[in-house]
Amino acid sequence: MTAFDYSSTSDAIRDDLALAHRQAWIHVAKAGSWLTGAERVAVADETRRARSCALCSERKAALSPFSVKGDHEHGGVLSQALVDAVHRVVTDAGRLSSTWYQSLLEDGLSPESYVEALGVVVLVVSVDEFHHAMGMPPEPLPAPLPGEPSGYRPQGAEVEEDAAWVPVLSPKRMGPSEADLFAGMPAGQAPNVVRALSLVPNEVRAWRELAGAQYLSPQQMQDFDSPRAIDRAQIELVAGRVSALNECFY
Amino acid sequence: MLRASIEYLNDGSGAGSENDLRAITEGSKAADIGVRYSAELTSFAEASVQGDAASLATARDTLRDVMGSEALVDAAGVVANFQRMVRIADGAGITLDAAVGMMSENFREELGLDQYETAGRSRGLGAIQRVLSPLLRGVAHLGLRTMGRRARNRADV
Repeated sequence: MTAFDYSSTSDAIRDDLALAHRQAWIHVAKAGSWLTGAERVAVADETRRARSCALCSERKAALSPFSVKGDHEHGGVLSQALVDAVHRVVTDAGRLSSTWYQSLLEDGLSPESYVEALGVVVLVVSVDEFHHAMGMPPEPLPAPLPGEPSGYRPQGAEVEEDAAWVPVLSPKRMGPSEADLFAGMPAGQAPNVVRALSLVPNEVRAWRELAGAQYLSPQQMQDFDSPRAIDRAQIELVAGRVSALNECFY
Repeated sequence: MLRASIEYLNDGSGAGSENDLRAITEGSKAADIGVRYSAELTSFAEASVQGDAASLATARDTLRDVMGSEALVDAAGVVANFQRMVRIADGAGITLDAAVGMMSENFREELGLDQYETAGRSRGLGAIQRVLSPLLRGVAHLGLRTMGRRARNRADV
């Protein structure tokens, strides 16, 4: 069976959207820079499990999420630190802190693995949220593909106190292999949200590809002519309202 | 971008107002802004993020009825994208870019964005940035108007 076969749905789901979702699933299943395919699919699995995790629910309801101790419901593949990272990003991202992030590192999680897992989490969240909004069941997760992580760390990735907790690239501080990451943006500039995953460049590439199908590409963002069935103001209204409901300061 | 795109869609007849932006933080104000089907789009966005299955199904059916199936799919794509963006921002602990902070200073406080939990990650503007921010806002507005004018010209050809 083909993944993301939208042909039987009553709504006209664009082919490029189905293709982007398929590519996202392949990206999740393949070995990354720091995690194997099996670990990445396990991250995807935890992304879904977090929604029904009792500990996450209790923490979400608590005045401080860090006051509630306990064990997450998990699949037994990933380290405790990585499970905690995935579950908290999915269920209570707005109350994460740099102190919490540092504690993950002290527990042995590398910044590279954390950023890669974050890339997988947000990809799965986004595809699942599309299905949820359309009233469709979630797509089954892909089977992991064989292969070893490349161990690739881009030159120039550093922690910038005024940008992010995690190390990031800057358009002024990166090698030619990463030139595509910030393509379509004003020369020498990249907003922090685009730089956020740049410690693992392939996660930025996957993010851009999916965003180009679900929202707009960087080039389309600079043009008020909408390539979609909803006009640009309608797009921005939905984007803004979703962000406000999530209390997205950014 | 919402404000600029409203202006573009209204043929440059004037910038979107603060009321337009309030539709983002107060969904009930959506019907009052100059965006077609804003109430239906806002209801769909709200039901997708925090509604139960029944309210989401109702919002989906309503949006499909008034705008069509293709528009519903595109709106769902935007919802999905921005459910992701907030987690990227919060998971990586990013701060507000200085330029964005300067450009949005005037309405962040008014709309209550500075009260969000994650606002504490970003430093407030310095004295020089405060002085420069109206200038930057003016330049940005001019740039967005130019982008809009170019797009309108292309549409007219």
